[in-house]
Amino acid sequence: MSFAEAFQFFLWAMLATLVVGGVAPLLGGHLLLRRTGLYGLVLPQFASAGVALGYAVLPWWIAVFGLGGRTLDEALADPHAASNVLLGFAALATAVGLAVQAAFARARATESARAVGAFAVAGAATLLLSQLSPMGAEYVDSLLRGEVLAVGVHEFEVLAAGGLVAVLLLLRFQNALLLCGFDPDTARVQGLSLVRHEWVLLGALGLVVATGTLIVGPMVLFSLLVLPPLGARSLSRSQRGFFRWSVALGLASAVAGLVVSLRLDQPLGPAVALAAAALSTAAWALSRRQRALP
Amino acid sequence: MVELQQAPVLLRARSASFGYAGRALLSGVDVELRAGELFAVVGPNGSGKTTLLRGLLGLLPPLAGAVECDRRRVGYVPQREALDPLYPLTTGELVEQGAIARLGRFGHVRRRDRRGAVLALERVGLADRASSPFAALSGGQRQRALIARALLMDPLVLFMDEPTSGADPVAASAVLELVTSLVRERGLAVVLVAHHLAALRPHTDRALFVHCGRVERGALSELDDPHRALHIFRGEGAHSP
Repeated sequence: MSFAEAFQFFLWAMLATLVVGGVAPLLGGHLLLRRTGLYGLVLPQFASAGVALGYAVLPWWIAVFGLGGRTLDEALADPHAASNVLLGFAALATAVGLAVQAAFARARATESARAVGAFAVAGAATLLLSQLSPMGAEYVDSLLRGEVLAVGVHEFEVLAAGGLVAVLLLLRFQNALLLCGFDPDTARVQGLSLVRHEWVLLGALGLVVATGTLIVGPMVLFSLLVLPPLGARSLSRSQRGFFRWSVALGLASAVAGLVVSLRLDQPLGPAVALAAAALSTAAWALSRRQRALP
Repeated sequence: MVELQQAPVLLRARSASFGYAGRALLSGVDVELRAGELFAVVGPNGSGKTTLLRGLLGLLPPLAGAVECDRRRVGYVPQREALDPLYPLTTGELVEQGAIARLGRFGHVRRRDRRGAVLALERVGLADRASSPFAALSGGQRQRALIARALLMDPLVLFMDEPTSGADPVAASAVLELVTSLVRERGLAVVLVAHHLAALRPHTDRALFVHCGRVERGALSELDDPHRALHIFRGEGAHSP
């Protein structure tokens, strides 16, 4: 396949990756500053378990609710047909992931302990649920490997809509979210509800994780949630600069990953993750050099 | 003094109890703060100074009694060590956080509040540091930036949690001088938790002594009496005059 043909064939996958490249770092910036960056690793794993569960219950779903008149074989042959059902299960599993985090927090576990514990639970659930559906195992396996195969216009629209809602929420509440994380007491003195703002952030996170995991896979998602803000932190002196650099590095990582993936015929997920790591390392090195200059 | 007694009461606690998990650490708190008063909250470690501050601030609901105050006109200066240095904030952005209760429809800081932030920074002597990272300021400068943020809240009552901790004597004195001038200029009522009592003495004599689960209004000069000082800081000689 020529580069031009690949470009046309993977058009929606590329656009979806760019959407995630713009939205995920904005969200990940808040997670990093709140020292809850490990959510970016754990929640996509829960969403993957949700996708596996969705495949496992698909026969029952079609028997009870139907799927636009399709049979199970037709639904399994067309990965777009069941995407709304799978998205619902990914969202449900993301919500379960947040609930597990909250339960561990009540048990006074540290953030890293919560993340490791939840990751183990989600990873085990993904593997076990994948065994219940061979087609699901294959699909989840390709998601985990970062092969973006089944992105069509519908998946792109779902992802773009989820991303747009998340961005609007983050822009509307950005100042309040930052104060709630930076200085919760002063936020409360000024009448802000910490719980309400936590839900705003988690709602935006849930939207992006559920849609992003199903459509571009957990590897693209968690690398773009975590790595660009890490690089941006070393380059920024202000909160505005931090979020602008995060988004710029996220988009640059997505573009670089796409080019490498298409040119070298490699899976997209690892290419994006390594591009994000390289750019973040370069940003860190650049900031060190600038600081060392007289 | 006569003038102050006629000044309006800005905060009143009546028989209030404050504590955690339903257990009162302080009870029978009766406090009145009037415009233009500067109070130091004084007591031994673990006596409940921070609990009193959080109770009066409204962060800790009273277990009994009541605290009356216009919550829209309260300012707060937290301990600067409690703030996370990971946040990339310029000093100007930090001060603009004081206008968070008045954000525009799209969650942005309004133009008049941006101007207010500039004026507040000028007032505390940090106008030239607006674009400097907050974490890169010296301890005393950070404290003044936090005071500027509290001023943007347009407070009538200002609460400060250990504003001189970790500061060298010169910086501590400059911070207290700034607070005293704000009390004079704006008629603020200020309550501050403090450990450097010697540094405070030139600025105020009013004190809220927190000890043995009680809060007593008094004067810092009372601590010149060794019996009284022992009574407050060690709970000894509780029946001595």
